[in-house]
Amino acid sequence: MKKSLISAVSAGLAIAMLAGCSTSNNGGGNEPAGNNGGANNGEKVTLNIFQFKVEIADALNRLKADYEKENPNVILNIETMGGGADYGAGLKAKFASNQEPDIFNNGGNADLTTWADKLEDLSNEPWQSDVIDTAKEGITRDGKNYGLPMGIEGYGLIYNKDLFKQAGIETPPKTLTELKAAVEKLKAAKITPFSNGYQEFWVLGNHTFNVALANQDDPTSFIKGLNEGKGGLVGNPVIGNWFNLFDMMIANSNKNPLTTDYNTQVTLFASGKTAMMQQGNWTQVQIDGITPNMNIGILPMPVDDSEKSGNIFVGVPNYWVVNKNSKNKEAAKDFLNWLATSETGKNYGVNEFKFIPALKSVEVKDQKVLGAIANDILQYSKDGKTSGWYFNQMPEGLPQEVGADMQAYVAGKSNKDQLVKSIQDKWTNMAKK
Amino acid sequence: MKSSGWSKSWVQQLVFTGPVTLAFAIIIALPFFMGMYYSFTEWNGVSDNATFVGLDNFVKIFNDQTFINSFTFTTKFTIAAVILSNLVGFMLALLLTQPVKSKNLLRTIFFMPNVIGGLLLGFIWQFIFVKGFAAVGEKTGWSLFNLPWLGDETTAFWGVVIVTVWSTSGYLMVIYISALINVPRDLIEAASIDGATAMQRLRHITVPLIMPAVTIALFLALSWSFKSFDIILSLTKGGPYNSTQSVALNIYNEAFQNNNMGLGTAKALIFFIVVALITSLQVWVTKRKEVQA
Repeated sequence: MKKSLISAVSAGLAIAMLAGCSTSNNGGGNEPAGNNGGANNGEKVTLNIFQFKVEIADALNRLKADYEKENPNVILNIETMGGGADYGAGLKAKFASNQEPDIFNNGGNADLTTWADKLEDLSNEPWQSDVIDTAKEGITRDGKNYGLPMGIEGYGLIYNKDLFKQAGIETPPKTLTELKAAVEKLKAAKITPFSNGYQEFWVLGNHTFNVALANQDDPTSFIKGLNEGKGGLVGNPVIGNWFNLFDMMIANSNKNPLTTDYNTQVTLFASGKTAMMQQGNWTQVQIDGITPNMNIGILPMPVDDSEKSGNIFVGVPNYWVVNKNSKNKEAAKDFLNWLATSETGKNYGVNEFKFIPALKSVEVKDQKVLGAIANDILQYSKDGKTSGWYFNQMPEGLPQEVGADMQAYVAGKSNKDQLVKSIQDKWTNMAKK
Repeated sequence: MKSSGWSKSWVQQLVFTGPVTLAFAIIIALPFFMGMYYSFTEWNGVSDNATFVGLDNFVKIFNDQTFINSFTFTTKFTIAAVILSNLVGFMLALLLTQPVKSKNLLRTIFFMPNVIGGLLLGFIWQFIFVKGFAAVGEKTGWSLFNLPWLGDETTAFWGVVIVTVWSTSGYLMVIYISALINVPRDLIEAASIDGATAMQRLRHITVPLIMPAVTIALFLALSWSFKSFDIILSLTKGGPYNSTQSVALNIYNEAFQNNNMGLGTAKALIFFIVVALITSLQVWVTKRKEVQA
C-alpha cells in the first residue's frame, strides 16, 4: 500500500507543477493586437519599458513617480538591464518569450536594421522638429524616423589639466605635432601619458577605429563601399596617418594595456597616474567618485595636422523606440512626447540623467550639472568641431572582430599591413552574410 | 484488488518518470529540434521571416576561420583540462583516503570551488591574475608573477586551464574518493603480503578496480571542458585577440552578437555531433577496461 501512496503523492505533485506553469503566463505579456485605444477608455494602462542605461535607473524611478502623478491611468513598469550584461540578448529573450516591452532602446544604424520589423514609425511625432539633425540620421530608414534620441555623447582624449601644467605644456595640443610634443614633455616629467583600456573591444574596435573612418573625405560613402565588398582600407592614406596616433598611444601606454579593463583605465586616469585617456563624457560620474572636482577637459584625436582631424567624436548612443505590435502604443507615444516636450521631461533629461541634450529647445542652464567633459563637448559642438560615430554603420559583430585584430597588433602579433588586410577581409565577409 | 502486473508497472513508470520526461521534452528536446530547423535558414533572431537557404550555412562554417580557430583552441584546452583535472582530483582523493587529520574539512574545502558558479569564479580569478599576480610580482620580483597574465595567448590559455582545473578537480575528487574506499582491503593486503610495493599496488590493484569511476570522471571532465563557456566569458571574454574563444563562445557570439541565428544554430548542431561522438568513444573505450573484483 505504501508504494501506491507514494505514486499518488508524486502524481499530485506533478499535476500541481504543471498547473503552476500554465497560470503564470498572463503577467506582462503583450500579444500582438490591433487594438490601439487602450489609453483612452479610463482603464489603467501598464507601459513596459526595457532600457539599458544603468546610470539612470534611479532617476527613472523618480520620473516614474512624477509621470504617474500627472497621468493617473498609466503605470510605468521600468526594467533596466545593461552595464556588463548583454542588453541585445536580453531583449531578444523578451520578444521570444512573449513579454515584448512597449518601449525599449535601439542603437540605430545596424541595430535599426536588425529590429526594423518591430519598430513603430515615429516620423509624425510633435518633437521631431526639435531634434538636432545629426541625431536623426542613425534612426532614419527610407524616409521614416523610428526613435527619440536619449541624448548626445562625445569622446576624445580626456586630459588632466594639472598634470599638463606640471609638465610645462601651455596650450592644449590640437594637432598631431603638438600632441607628440606634449607626450614628450609628459615623459620628461616622468608622467605616463596614456591609460589604455585595450581589454575592452569597444575602446579599440569602436572608438579608436572610428578615428580612421571619420577622417575619410566622405565617411558614409567610404563605409558603403566597404559594405559592398569593394574594399578601400588597404592602401588608404588616412589609415596610414591613423597609425601615427595609434602607435603613439601604444608606445606611451600604461603597463599591460591588454589586461586593462574600462574600470582600471578610468581609475588610473582619475587617480592622477596618467595624463590622458581615450574616453567620453560617460566617465564623469566615475571620475567624480574618485577625485571630485578634478581639473579635466577633452582634446581631439589628431591623425595629422589638418583642420578636420582636430575634431572630437559625437554621436547618439541610444534611442527610445516604440514596439509596433504593442497594444499600448498610443500611450507609449504619449510618454515619449511627454519626455521630449514637457518641462518636467526636459528637466529629467539634463539635470537627472545628465545627458547632453539632443533637442534644440533644451538649454543647459547650470554648467556644473553635466560636468567638465560634457561642457567641453558642448563647446566643440557649438564651434562645429565634431565628427560622427561611424562605427555604428559597420556590420554587426565587426567592431568586436576589429577590436580583436587591433589587440593582436598591440601585442605585436601582427604588423600594420596584416592588421589592415585582416580588417578589410572580415568586413567583406561579414557584410555579405 | 488485484490488477495485472503489466499495467501496474506501467502506471508506476508513468508516474515516476513521466514528469521528468515531459520536462525534458519541453525544455531540451523540443528547442533542440526547433533549432535544427533554423540551422537551414538565414534568420537574425528578431525578424518576422526566416529564409530557407538549405545547406548554405554548413558550407559557410567550413570556410569560417574563427570557428576553426575556436575548435583548435577548444581541443587543446580540453586535452590539458581533462588530464590535469583528473590527475589533481585523483591525487587529492588518494591523499584524503589516507588517515589524515582534518580529512573531512579538507574534502569540503577542495570541493568548495565547484559550488561557486563559473561566472563568479572567472571574475574572482581575473582579479587574482591581473591585480593579485602583478602585486606579488612587484614585491618579490619572481618572473612567473611578472608575466602579462591573461594579456597574451600563452598566459591566457593557462589561466583558463588553471581556473577550470581548480573548479572541477574537487568534484572529480569526490567521485574518486567514493571509488577508492570501496576497493576491498583484503586484495590490497594480499598483494602487500606477496611483496607488492605501494606503486605496484596502485597500478595493478587499485586503478583497475576503480575504472568505473575513471569512466565517469573522464566523461564529465570531457563534456565540461568541451562546452566551457562561463569561466572563459568572465575571465577573458575569449581574448586577447580571440585566442581563448571556445566553440561555445563562438556560437554565442555568432547568434547573439553578429545576429546570425541561423548560422549560429548550424554551428551548434555540428558541435553537438562532435561532442556526442567524442564522449561516446571515450565511454566505450574506458568501459572495456573495467574489471570485476
